[in-house]
Amino acid sequence: MVENHSREDHETGGENKEKRPKFFINDHVDILIEILECLDGRSLCVAASVCRLWCTIARNDSLWENLCFRHVSPPPSSVRSVVLALGGYKRLYTGCVRPVRSRLGRVRRATWAGDEVQLSLSLFCVDYYERLGGSNSNGRLVEKSSPSSLMFLCKPVNV
Amino acid sequence: MVLYDSATLGGSCSGSSSSSSSSKPPPLQQRQQKQQDIDGFLAGAGYRVRSSELRKVAQRLERLETAMVNSPADLSQLASDTIHYNPSDLASWVDSLLSELTQPPTCPSEFIMDPVSNQTVVSDAWTTAEPHMPQVHQNISYEQQSLNNQLTVVPAMEEDSGIRLVHMLMTCAECVQRGDFSLATSCLEDMQGLLTRVNTVCGIGKVAGHFIDALSRRIFQGIGGGSVNGGSAYENELLYHHFYEACPYLKFAHFTANQAILEAFDGHDCVHVVDFNLMHGLQWPALIQALALRPGGPPLLRLTGIGPPSPDGRDSLREIGLRLAELARSVNVRFAFRGVAASRLEDVKPWMLQVNPKESVAVNSIMQLHRLLGSDPNRNSPIETVLSWIRSLNPKIMTVVEQEANHNQPGFLDRFTEALHYYSTMFDSLEACTVQPNKALAEIYIQREIANVVSCEGSARVERHEPLSKWRTRLSGAGFRPLHLGSNAYKQASMLLTLFSAEGYSVEENDGCLTLGWHSRPLIAASAWQAVSDGTADFPA
Repeated sequence: MVENHSREDHETGGENKEKRPKFFINDHVDILIEILECLDGRSLCVAASVCRLWCTIARNDSLWENLCFRHVSPPPSSVRSVVLALGGYKRLYTGCVRPVRSRLGRVRRATWAGDEVQLSLSLFCVDYYERLGGSNSNGRLVEKSSPSSLMFLCKPVNV
Repeated sequence: MVLYDSATLGGSCSGSSSSSSSSKPPPLQQRQQKQQDIDGFLAGAGYRVRSSELRKVAQRLERLETAMVNSPADLSQLASDTIHYNPSDLASWVDSLLSELTQPPTCPSEFIMDPVSNQTVVSDAWTTAEPHMPQVHQNISYEQQSLNNQLTVVPAMEEDSGIRLVHMLMTCAECVQRGDFSLATSCLEDMQGLLTRVNTVCGIGKVAGHFIDALSRRIFQGIGGGSVNGGSAYENELLYHHFYEACPYLKFAHFTANQAILEAFDGHDCVHVVDFNLMHGLQWPALIQALALRPGGPPLLRLTGIGPPSPDGRDSLREIGLRLAELARSVNVRFAFRGVAASRLEDVKPWMLQVNPKESVAVNSIMQLHRLLGSDPNRNSPIETVLSWIRSLNPKIMTVVEQEANHNQPGFLDRFTEALHYYSTMFDSLEACTVQPNKALAEIYIQREIANVVSCEGSARVERHEPLSKWRTRLSGAGFRPLHLGSNAYKQASMLLTLFSAEGYSVEENDGCLTLGWHSRPLIAASAWQAVSDGTADFPA
């Protein structure tokens, strides 16, 4: 889907008015958003490098929120404020939800689906707390090589 | 990782007694054994060897093995011409075989002269090839078969050294228990020599290295503890943090306890958590977040963190409290923090916690209660004191996480053996972690525990781990009843484990408690308790 729209990768539509395509996706941002909402995380990152408009849209946290809760029932509205306070959905997704989902996906237990996000959220919160330590303290509490509680998710899985 | 089997010796003796576990000899024989100082383990396997000769026998068996492997031509001669002595008299049997081969016979100068008492450690029955009356009821073809087996199997140097190390560790520990420090010292030297031939980066070599250090600390520095417990609070927190990152034990503890506390606080608007060991406060962000998102909105959360006082005027408790408060503010949870600085848990008095009678209290103890088990006859038992004031707070829930091991036995050798098994398993599980410097620092953290279990006594020994069954008895006797941890906790623990890249971890449910272990050996156990509401202490189960 992304490849089809890469043709539109120019911002000056002025010169070719007579040959201008009838449908210019960048004029219809709401449709664009609808389409981008269907992408997976990696494609969304790729889409962000298409043009400035796409970049702005792809950075919009609501797209990533959609990704996080895609296969589960929508969470209560209070979740949003918490996640935004802790660093936003994009960070939640790339740091926690995606690796958690991919690792738990190997085990394939249906009862875990909703809890994956809960667990990701908890891990995300611990990570936020550790990041707090790095910026706030005078450096003695948390050293430069401070452990990040999400590092175990970043390492390749030894299957 | 090879764990030792007490019935085999050095891996190289004849195959006739490979895995017989100890069937106790009849009582008369036992008395005879004791009189002659016959080693009990080997006696159960059918060999009669004096305990004092064990090391020498082992050395000669090694030499015999080397000789057999190196000169296979002589073996056929052994099989056909020689009269074989009874191998159950292991000492003379080995000696006779050795003298048959082309190796030079052993000379008395090899006997160790004990510098202190100036006596040979070994008995006189060892001089070469004294003709015994051959007890011919040995089956010669069986001997030949076992020799052939040894020809075909080339012993892996590494594995043999590992087994030998373990045996020597046990011997050394036994010497320490007996008070035979000179022999223990020579054991230590031998082990240190053996360590150079073993891979100490992983496996048995690494664990053995730590235990050898701990033993030498005990022998040379005494049981006062010295620098083992002298790590600064800052160092301890850092090591703890790295241990938290490197393996899932602490994460499991935190998440399970949080889940239990969350469920206990359901419906309460004013809650107070007392943490017996705050460290960096890593347990609490997840609880704060879960409370923020609970249906019905977050309660007012008070957290009282207990920790050691900071030496240099820094108030580390307060700093942690500020961080937690900032996080709570970001997620809109009303939060209040209080720090209680105490170097020992038994110094804390309940009034310091300032518990409001209207709030619901949760007490959280992650690997702290076992420190109270040291008994000083002059004082009240600290564990009873602490448990009684916990009970007086009437907490909604008390979460207890403890190491699942029996490291508080009175006998040193039993404790040593148990610790060897436990920490070998734990080091095995740590192999799965590849992240540095987490792994290295986590190992130092574990090493300190080992040193405390092995080399300290009395009030210096704080790592007095007891298994879940004992804690159950103790807590039930102190007026608490168990709360089942529930399927949510189990599900969460299983998910958490699946995230860790190693396949060996296992969560098990044990009568309402959860244990986390490596390959079905539980290493850490989490349980939840509630104070019994009536006044009686002994609640019949």
